Amino acid sequence: MASDTPKASGQAEPPRLLLVTRSPPYGSSLARSALDTALAAAAFDMAPALLFLDHGVLQLLPQQEGAASETRSHGKVLDSLPLYDIDRIYVDAAALLHFGLQDMPLPAAAEVVDSTGIRALLEGCDHILSF
Amino acid sequence: MLGADAFDTEGFLRHLKDWSPAVAEQIASDEGIALDEAHWEIIYLLRDYYTEFDSSPAMRPLVKYCAAKLGADKGKSMYLLSLFPGSPARLGSKIAGLPKPENCL
Amino acid sequence: MILHTLNASPGSTAFDHCLAQVAADDGLLLMGNAVYAALANAPALARLRATGARLHVLEDDARTAGVTPQMSEDVLAIDFDAFVALSEQHARQVAWF
Repeated sequence: MASDTPKASGQAEPPRLLLVTRSPPYGSSLARSALDTALAAAAFDMAPALLFLDHGVLQLLPQQEGAASETRSHGKVLDSLPLYDIDRIYVDAAALLHFGLQDMPLPAAAEVVDSTGIRALLEGCDHILSF
Repeated sequence: MLGADAFDTEGFLRHLKDWSPAVAEQIASDEGIALDEAHWEIIYLLRDYYTEFDSSPAMRPLVKYCAAKLGADKGKSMYLLSLFPGSPARLGSKIAGLPKPENCL
Repeated sequence: MILHTLNASPGSTAFDHCLAQVAADDGLLLMGNAVYAALANAPALARLRATGARLHVLEDDARTAGVTPQMSEDVLAIDFDAFVALSEQHARQVAWF
């Protein structure tokens, strides 16, 4: 995280934060870092929007069994996002197609976005963190 | 009684499977809390949360989860603070044998 | 006969390089982030089938990823013992990651 400071407006409105997560859930710690950052930001009343891009869509597969690899289930932690008031979730349409996951059930709050929609998300926030 | 090496440096149980109601009593006693029915209800709720979400809750999700499972009267910070003073998510998780909440600020 | 152990996601260069080298009498084992190629609707699966190689997936990795419930029947899920047996059946083994 760079030296992000709240908007200089002096108003109480928190900065709009977008987290872009492009990694699969296992095999590296990046996806987990994105999720931990999201939960921490939410605890600061800055519930971020989450954009699942590229391999990031693989985090959304249902029925992940973390126990099979003695790790925590990334999918189960994602299930807790509504309790953290994180309810803006965007999913890369092209990536779903690439992995043959276009029929996969998505979180209730999720919205599938195309390239134009992704651009709009990037423009519509104050800070972007990529994982 | 579990030995000191069953706990990490902050007093959280290292392994979920080591937990039992007796261990909860032991941890609570170290924290100066005498467990009653109201405590146990939250302790088991925390363990349910962990089973469902593979993580210990921060305060906000704990309050919401309590409201959803136990009703609006108990889904309040004040109620949880009265049972587990200071930091209910942290202290409750500790007594419930869960890992320390990572986003508990 | 070569056993290819593939631990790279569909769309990565390692995945593509591996597929370019797989022959019909080879064995292919998907593990780590390659398990997503075993999803029944994955475009990558069609490319795996086209190689003619026997397709395997490491069961624990597939279950962890949530792939097992939607896995293609053309891919055989194996445990570590079967992995060892598979290694013994092939004179050479190459790891792609």
